[in-house]
Amino acid sequence: MSALLQHPGYEEERLQTVAKQLPCREVQAGMLLSLMGQPHQYSYPSIFIYGHQSSGKSHVLHVLLKELELPHATVSCVECVSVALLFEQVLLSFFGCVAASLLPRSPSLSDFVRIYRQQSSQSPAKQTRYIVMEKAELLRDSNANLLPALLRLQELVEDNVSVILLSEIVWDRFRPNTGCFEPLLLHFPDYSKGELQHILAQDRNPSYSDEFYSAYINILLGVFYSVCRDLRELRHLAALNFSKFCEPLAEGKVKETDTHKLWRNIEPHLKKAMQTVYLREVSSLQWEKMQQMEEKENGALRGLSAHTHVELPYYSKFLLIAAYLASFNPARTDKRFFVKHHGKIKKTNFLKKNEKTSNHLLGPKPFPLDRLLAIFYSVVDSRVAPTASIFSQISSLVTLQLLTQVSHSEQLDAPKYKCAVSMDFICAISRTVNFEIIKYLYDFL
Amino acid sequence: MSTSSVSKGCFVFKPSAKKKKTLSLEDHFIHGCEGAEKSKTRFQLCQELWDQIKTDTELLQDELNRKILDSLLDFTRKCSSTRQHSDWASHMRASEIPTAALVLGVNVPDHDMTFQSLSELLQQSVTPHVASVQAKECVALKHLMKRVLERLLGTDVTVDDDDNEEEETEQTRANLHKSVHCSLSTLCDWYTTKTKKSVTPGKKRSSPVKDDLQQPPIVIIFKDLEAFNAKVLQDFILICSRYIERLPLMFIFGIATSPSTIQHMLPHSVSSLLCIELFQSLSCTQHLATVIDKLILTTWFPFKLNGKVMQVLISIFLYHDFSVRNFIKGVQLALLEHFHSQPLSVLCCRKKEAMLNVMQLGNHDLERIRQLPSFKRYVEKQEPQEQETLLKDDTHLKEVCQRLIKNLHKYHKNYYPTLRCLHTLTSSLPRYPLGKQIRELHLICLEKNVWENEEYHTAMKLLKMLAKDELISLLKKCVEILQHAKSKKIKRALLQLEAMLAKFKQLDTVATEPPPPAEESIISPVKNLQKKTDLFQLQKALLEMNESRRSKKLSPFEVLRNEALQFIDGLVQSHLSPPESQTLNEVCYYSSSATVRRHLNAAPRTSIQTALNSPFYYLQNDRLKTEDGTVSNAAPDICIVYKLHLECGRLINLFDWLEAFSTVVSAAEGNDPDSDSFGKVDDVKHARFIRAVSELEFLGFIKSTKQKTDHVARITWGGC
Amino acid sequence: MSKRKARDAHLPVGECISQVQEILRKRLCNQQLPDRPEGVEAQHKHLLELLKRTAVHGESNSVLIVGPRGAGKTMLLKCVLRDLLMEKEAQKNLLQVHLNGLLQTDDRIALQEMTRQLHLENVVGDKVFGSFAENLNFLLEALKKGDRSSSRPVLFVLDEFDLFAHHKNQTLLYNLFDVSQSAQAPVAVVGVTCRLDVLELLEKRVKSRFSHRQIHVLSNPTFRQYLERVQTQLSLQPGDLPDDKFAQHWNVSIKTLCEDKSVEEALQRHYNSSKDFRSNHMLLMLCLSRVSVAKPAIKPADLLEASRMCFIDAEANMLHGLSILELCLIIAMKHLNDLYEGEPFNLQMVHNEFKKFLQRKSNSMYNFEQPVIMKAFEHLQQLEMIRPVDSSTAKTQREYQLMRLMLDHTQVMEALQKYPQCPTDVKQWAMSAFG
Repeated sequence: MSALLQHPGYEEERLQTVAKQLPCREVQAGMLLSLMGQPHQYSYPSIFIYGHQSSGKSHVLHVLLKELELPHATVSCVECVSVALLFEQVLLSFFGCVAASLLPRSPSLSDFVRIYRQQSSQSPAKQTRYIVMEKAELLRDSNANLLPALLRLQELVEDNVSVILLSEIVWDRFRPNTGCFEPLLLHFPDYSKGELQHILAQDRNPSYSDEFYSAYINILLGVFYSVCRDLRELRHLAALNFSKFCEPLAEGKVKETDTHKLWRNIEPHLKKAMQTVYLREVSSLQWEKMQQMEEKENGALRGLSAHTHVELPYYSKFLLIAAYLASFNPARTDKRFFVKHHGKIKKTNFLKKNEKTSNHLLGPKPFPLDRLLAIFYSVVDSRVAPTASIFSQISSLVTLQLLTQVSHSEQLDAPKYKCAVSMDFICAISRTVNFEIIKYLYDFL
Repeated sequence: MSTSSVSKGCFVFKPSAKKKKTLSLEDHFIHGCEGAEKSKTRFQLCQELWDQIKTDTELLQDELNRKILDSLLDFTRKCSSTRQHSDWASHMRASEIPTAALVLGVNVPDHDMTFQSLSELLQQSVTPHVASVQAKECVALKHLMKRVLERLLGTDVTVDDDDNEEEETEQTRANLHKSVHCSLSTLCDWYTTKTKKSVTPGKKRSSPVKDDLQQPPIVIIFKDLEAFNAKVLQDFILICSRYIERLPLMFIFGIATSPSTIQHMLPHSVSSLLCIELFQSLSCTQHLATVIDKLILTTWFPFKLNGKVMQVLISIFLYHDFSVRNFIKGVQLALLEHFHSQPLSVLCCRKKEAMLNVMQLGNHDLERIRQLPSFKRYVEKQEPQEQETLLKDDTHLKEVCQRLIKNLHKYHKNYYPTLRCLHTLTSSLPRYPLGKQIRELHLICLEKNVWENEEYHTAMKLLKMLAKDELISLLKKCVEILQHAKSKKIKRALLQLEAMLAKFKQLDTVATEPPPPAEESIISPVKNLQKKTDLFQLQKALLEMNESRRSKKLSPFEVLRNEALQFIDGLVQSHLSPPESQTLNEVCYYSSSATVRRHLNAAPRTSIQTALNSPFYYLQNDRLKTEDGTVSNAAPDICIVYKLHLECGRLINLFDWLEAFSTVVSAAEGNDPDSDSFGKVDDVKHARFIRAVSELEFLGFIKSTKQKTDHVARITWGGC
Repeated sequence: MSKRKARDAHLPVGECISQVQEILRKRLCNQQLPDRPEGVEAQHKHLLELLKRTAVHGESNSVLIVGPRGAGKTMLLKCVLRDLLMEKEAQKNLLQVHLNGLLQTDDRIALQEMTRQLHLENVVGDKVFGSFAENLNFLLEALKKGDRSSSRPVLFVLDEFDLFAHHKNQTLLYNLFDVSQSAQAPVAVVGVTCRLDVLELLEKRVKSRFSHRQIHVLSNPTFRQYLERVQTQLSLQPGDLPDDKFAQHWNVSIKTLCEDKSVEEALQRHYNSSKDFRSNHMLLMLCLSRVSVAKPAIKPADLLEASRMCFIDAEANMLHGLSILELCLIIAMKHLNDLYEGEPFNLQMVHNEFKKFLQRKSNSMYNFEQPVIMKAFEHLQQLEMIRPVDSSTAKTQREYQLMRLMLDHTQVMEALQKYPQCPTDVKQWAMSAFG
């Protein structure tokens, strides 16, 4: 395969090492290399590489630039809290810290370009300089001129520099509305099942044979491939479940070749892993512990989402219930639910047929504070004085994210809230104070 | 110092040193408290008890947190150690950031102490690099970064005074100040230099622990996870994950609600970067239970709360905030109030001091004692001439008092062990007739004679039906409890109880012949009684059981059982009488629950309304006294305005309002209704009206409205 | 002499190739200037003499170069400047100030940049100026020659001109145009922009001071010209390469390439989509990148491949990478869109729709529980195939946040066809009109 990775201007063995490090990505690497051309030649001003998570975008680039010792600056846009950081990193890796220190307090693009120019005029590029931007989609959020400027940086600084943007998002979502210099688009396709098999099989456990491990990988992919194709995830899963897979071997029940038995042993286990590990409900450490202990108390260890129970003060519970009712019932139905001797409200005209979608599909609606309190006072069994602590409980519910305040915090006279808990949660809560909430929910009449 | 001056002017007096001293805590206490003469001693006593409470509760806190903190420490150690050695699996897992989700319950005010001790422990035993951040100080990613870096590097400067170290951190600080450099790479460099330094001493004394911690982890504590801005958190985690190979980072999430919030806050793309482990702290109700057990239900703690106050504090805890800290605050408040308002509280202390203090009592105090209701009751019980002497002769009174105080202490000595016994017996019964928690039982006993209410009787009935082994185990427990008690009576009781237990033992040694069929026919119902759910069925079952019992003769076991229970009953009757029955209980028991409620559970809205409705309630001025519902026209303007606005609808016409106001006011001024100037709106009235209205708006009763310019809208409903 | 030439004549192929690469890359990537701009001769002439008047005779002027992106505005300007500087007179007089709307984002920065480019930092030193105008005038004054009579002409080039119009009350533009009107100093203001409506952006006072001179650069060549352009772009000038034989050989190959039928069709397609230089360059660059020692010429196949790469649908690519579950969700969303004609939806609804499908099929391979679905949903959002309607993410729970699908019906269907081993029932579900 490494035949693809032949290019004048680079040493042969370097390319070989590169090829070794990039399984199943030779095509892309070759493509990229040919676009980059020989070190001293000009490369295309800006290249936009898109592809799914862990399809080897940054890996390929990193390996290429590092192994071939090309001058490059790699910047992750997540890290660039301010553009200053970005500029700094670029200058630092091209011209050293002296240049970086030339940047003023809060540098503008103009400053950056100026410094770059003067530096590059002092030390003109013998080889193409590469600026790699990971997670480029974040560039859109910062200064509006940043992206267009980067795209035509070569022209602006008059230096042999080429900007490479990496992203999971297609270029169409980037293009500013006044247009800009179009980069050269390059797609990294996702790994096919076979390729995944090939790659995963490489990091095998040294204490077992190749084909055994690859058989394992094969089974693993069989279970997870339909849900998840992310190499990182799969690797993680493979690592965690392997010991379980080996168990019967260790006990000497079966021999390595007997794949079917092994499959029957691991299959349900993997199914379980689907719920727990894949969702990271159980940390990998715990999962391993779980495998040490036998099936007998496997139930003992529950995932994160299993722990939904929250201990709340008595009135807070009722406040929460009231909030839930307020945000899932239309306001006009309050009379029917909470007024003791409401007049004759016929069920027929009370239930509007025109509302086809239930509120539990549309989600909670905001409600004003006094509606909440009104419902609260009618729901709670004992008579409650409107003390300060009741109100403080509301605000603390907000900080606990069980309620969310919709209106702005400076609007004091009529704050609006929204209930942010799930159906099951509220049901559990109301069970503890034995209040059957279902009777009071408009959707379940 | 006098200041006579012709011109108006303000004169500044430097407070002299002695003046300052008078502003001390003590004098605040003494100032305007009842019966000033003994106040100093009272203050001392109060102080002591206060400090005692503080220290004890802190100790308790640490005790309770010990377990979870230790497990956390182990977790951190494990993580930092697994990073070093590289077996296949852990190598595959290296990319995750170890994270401890620490679930602490919703009582947020209590958390600070926990985190404090946690970070201290970490710094002592695991790693010097600990940074804890709060949500409100990092609204944006920048700030979070900055805080974390500052905490880490900053703490380091203070910790070691190695000079080259010093300047090294100095320069990192220097570029910290221009927050451009505020990135993790800075931290990385700092950390590498740091570890390089710390390795060499590690080599010197190559203890396994040391080079295990050659790379001490960097722990970042997020105190209140829920309050954090999710976006900020996500970005931060993403960044950290890029550095995890170089920096042994570690998170601790302080969670108030439940671990599932992590998944609500973080999308899986982020949470998959964490290796989350769960740590559940024990619930605050248990915490409260221990506090009550160790602090309230003890003989050595002289200050007591009566039933009502207890009720208030507990209900505040259960209904409003699960905060143990606030509960203790409440106790402290009660303590302060008691010593401040009750002159006889000088006697509220250890027995010996009490004895001395009794001797110190002045005749004011003795008079006060004579006024005490409990003492009056006591006096009535005595013969006439004894009464005579008690009311006349001070020295005699003092002796009596000493005796009474002794009794009071005895009473406590007996009360608590008995209480615990009863609790152990009843707390396992079906449907908990006397409550699950000991505090409930305690409340009942404080209220009135426990043996008079029918829950007690149901409990007894149920006990009468216990199987042998159950009963024996319970009694054994009781014995253990009683063993700790000191008072003679209890010791005697203990002996009796042990004797009974012995009898029970003999019983089953003797009873070689198969136990009479009656037995299981009696035992079994209790078994299925456990399952019985509604009270009615239960009572029915009990009744028919009694029927059956009457019918058949009792087996020796049952005889013995009844005996034992009678004994327990006797114990209860003799020792669990409510404190009000005790003479001089006012000395130790704080009783004004209203005060406590007013301080701890304020109702601003209602108090404002009362102030506006009947100003007399607050400003005790006879001119304001009126029959309820109405406001005298001499009341402050705002009251009048408020009263008037109650009669209006949702929208209030300002002009009509003004008219009404001016009529009322001019009536107050007493100029005659016939004169044409009556009810005229002059500038002064107008101004007063405007001020009153704006005050009302400020209090949030009305607000200006867009609909009509010359109207205001009411925010409150109803009123009249 | 002749010997050397003979030796030069036979350079190894690799050498030639790399040189060709270098030359062509200069053209295609670095936008190296052609000797004479084709297609825009008239504009070239016009602009040249306009600037000449400023440079030589010291007249002030202002002009806008307007044209769509990649039409060759900058190239035109550069050519003109190059030719202008051929003149002795101009060369020794003319001062240039190049500003770019992307970089000089406000007037303060712009002014600093001007000062720098005019080498007046030390002159200005740390003077403080009341107004922008003062400062500018000071600069211009400072440019005056020893005898105070005439001052050196200055050429201001404002790239991305439209962005300057967004500066705070357009001070810079106002002053520049003002100077260009009044005869205080000879300046030429050349704005380069891709917005045809640029004049609407200018305030009245600014507009009134602008000599409404516009030079429009719209390169719409006939297809023939387009083909020629391609050929010239690729072919080598005599003397570029020491090895003439190879050069000729190369040119011939290019010629044949351009005559190929399939190539012509491909180029036709490009021609129809866009006629400008940039896209053209991109295409050719892709071709060039495929040239190597192994195949030292551009074959029709290369060009076709390159054009395919240009026309590739990115969305389809990304859809191809989704998991079955995610694809199912996409389909469910599509159905929702069809049902409620493009109303936004939330996860609950999508899940509901998906459940309906599952009930109809009743095979258990797809029934995942909520969290797994949620994870897939999040992934789609991360890929921006769905976008939240309002950006306030913190306020609402994730499962209730309203979303919009960023793909259209056809895209989904096509992707479905291309999808590797797509289950048939899913396909049918996607086809079915009712949700």
